[in-house]
Amino acid sequence: MSSTPLRAPAKAPPNGAEMAVSHLGRALSVTGTLDTDGEVHIHGKIQGRINADRMVLSAGAAMDGDIVARDVQIAGRLNGRIFAVNVTLDASADVTGRIFHHTVTVARGARVDARMPWRPPSYFETLDQLPETRP
Amino acid sequence: MTIFNRNDKAPDGSDIVTPPREMPAPPVTAETKRPVATAQPITSSVSSPSSGVSLISKALKITGQLESTEDIRIDGEIDGDVRGVSVTVGSNAKIKGTVYGDAVELSGTVNGKIEAKKVVLTSTARMSGDVIHQDIKIESGAFIDGHCRPEFGKAGPKPAAVYKPNAAAVKPADAEFEAKH
Repeated sequence: MSSTPLRAPAKAPPNGAEMAVSHLGRALSVTGTLDTDGEVHIHGKIQGRINADRMVLSAGAAMDGDIVARDVQIAGRLNGRIFAVNVTLDASADVTGRIFHHTVTVARGARVDARMPWRPPSYFETLDQLPETRP
Repeated sequence: MTIFNRNDKAPDGSDIVTPPREMPAPPVTAETKRPVATAQPITSSVSSPSSGVSLISKALKITGQLESTEDIRIDGEIDGDVRGVSVTVGSNAKIKGTVYGDAVELSGTVNGKIEAKKVVLTSTARMSGDVIHQDIKIESGAFIDGHCRPEFGKAGPKPAAVYKPNAAAVKPADAEFEAKH
């Protein structure tokens, strides 16, 4: 029926939990703020801030800015701060900045140039305004 | 043991009361599997190959600019400009800003502008603003409040720049012709 289909019709995501998962592809760069109650997977470049429930910065991805989430997994490059209850740094991670966490896992091989202040979980629940920190 | 327990309870924000330390380790099998289970989806999600097409799910709101040299599908909310090759705007999506692309398919709401070679407005589309296109398709039911101009790829200042030298070149020639004859 449609005589001029788009070049690559992106399929609608399946229903259910996957609806809340966002993928930002390798070629995508975002300048600004990302806000979600669900999950974000980042393969591209971000400059700004991410608020999410769970966020994954995959290998090859690069981010400049702050991440506020419950679970954070980093396999790419991050220059900024993480505010998360659970933080996982994979072997390919390259993090510069600060990691405010309740639990943190660092894989062997990860490059971490960061201070890692521990915080109780209540700290993250009441995190309305991010603290000013000097690099 | 106690550490694992604390890990699992922390996300809920519920009691982080560390269990008594003297707890022995008989239920190790069940408990030790837990961290493994939480770690596995993490690794699988990282290696997922879907890094080509970007998907902005309906729960995501972006304030700022998006730029991609690949395809984008948007089901969420964007406050800013979007640049992509093929941009698909889902029926629940809202965009406030300009959408640039080779091909734009709109089923949701755009408040701003669309600039694309190929534009498709489906029956659920709501477009407030101008559409600059080369090739457009508007399905019955689509709402559009704005101008549709087939000017994609035609830069505004270029024709003017071309005309002026011509006019300038013609005039002296005419003057010379009139002067001679």
